[in-house]
Amino acid sequence: MIKVNDLYKSFGSLDVLKGINSEVALGEVVVVIGPSGSGKSTFLRCLNALEDFQKGEIYVDGIRLHDKGVDINEIRAEIGMVFQNFNLFPHMSVLDNIALAPLKVRKQNKKEAEEIALNLLAKVGLADKAKAYPDQLSGGQKQRVAIARALAMRPKAMLFDEPTSALDPEMVGEVLGVMKQLAQEGMTMVVVTHEMGFAREVGDRVIFMDEGVIVEEGNPNDIFTNPQHERTKSFLSKIL
Amino acid sequence: MTLDFGLMAHSLPLLLQGAWLTVQITILAVFLGTIIGFVIGIMRVSHSPILSAPAAVYVEFIRGTPLLVQLFLIHFATPQLIGFSLEAYTSAVVAMSINSGAYVAEIVRGGIQSIEKGQMEAARSLGMNYGQAMWYIILPQAFRRILPALGNEFIALLKDSSLVSVITLEELTRKGQLIIGRTYKPFEIWIMVALIYLVMTLTMSRLVAYMERRTKTSD
Repeated sequence: MIKVNDLYKSFGSLDVLKGINSEVALGEVVVVIGPSGSGKSTFLRCLNALEDFQKGEIYVDGIRLHDKGVDINEIRAEIGMVFQNFNLFPHMSVLDNIALAPLKVRKQNKKEAEEIALNLLAKVGLADKAKAYPDQLSGGQKQRVAIARALAMRPKAMLFDEPTSALDPEMVGEVLGVMKQLAQEGMTMVVVTHEMGFAREVGDRVIFMDEGVIVEEGNPNDIFTNPQHERTKSFLSKIL
Repeated sequence: MTLDFGLMAHSLPLLLQGAWLTVQITILAVFLGTIIGFVIGIMRVSHSPILSAPAAVYVEFIRGTPLLVQLFLIHFATPQLIGFSLEAYTSAVVAMSINSGAYVAEIVRGGIQSIEKGQMEAARSLGMNYGQAMWYIILPQAFRRILPALGNEFIALLKDSSLVSVITLEELTRKGQLIIGRTYKPFEIWIMVALIYLVMTLTMSRLVAYMERRTKTSD
């Protein structure tokens, strides 16, 4: 589904990604963990070309990003993204937030788009909030709307960039619950998170990144109970 | 001293005629200036220098030269170029629109840049192209944010329209000058002219305040 070869990225003189190789299979849930500044968010943002990169290649669904003639908008339409800060559109109702892209990008008709939006709202447990505006919602509700908004495009994969990091602790569960349900339905997911419980329970594979490289990856149980690398061990001992 | 109230009453219809012309050219210039300003402002935030560089030059040139000189350039200098002269009315509207466009462009640029980066990213991540993201997500929010600044700009434009009296367009200020030329009563007439401007600017600020309330659904 997603394949990354030898990815290098720098911001000016700061090297953020130093040769990332990875692959995400269809239906797989990959959880990326690591300390702040390890490049995990940047890596995620490269996958839908929100960041460009200096070297390497990324394939999404067999299409090479950054090839001439590739319409990046078409690829982004197939990959949903959920942000740490929700990034809901504050000037639109919840329903319009979700229905906008299907209307304008997928060219669905209004009735169809709104029906799908309402169904998705029900799915994330917010059926009664269709007419509300984002600033009337709690953080957890905002993030669930953001997930519904991404799902409305019927994406083939979903990227989550620290989706619970901006939430009050008591709201983390409701968002993780929705993500877990998605995973169980077979959605391909790449999740950058500090929620180790989620990584362990829902992840098919865990990637540990530090200083722009993948230090270690594997089955969550192996990584958490028997990390091979010193850096992984020290990171996990601090966080668990 | 005593005020000549008879003259003031007598002059009112003429002054209001001038005021009506002031209103006309201001509304036209606000309309055209807003269009120019949005186009130039959006060009200025473009990543392509082919778009942003000319927009920057436009803004710098207009903001760096007096409106009065721009007015002279358009009214007296362009006929030399194009071979025919413009009516004072046309020159006034063109000069004021071009001038206001530059200030509106800066306001628009500031408004666009004040919208969090995540809004554009969220829109793009949903597959919207740059234009769609601008149109549906960034500009509506930016517009709301810049309304007060736009209101100020338009009030300033209304007052600056008095400058076009120098190209003999008989708007409010020019009408006042003409009446004074006949009656030698500057105090009465300038007071009335000032009050009429005040009524117009107050009306305008009320209008802007009303629009601010109208568009304030959330955010």
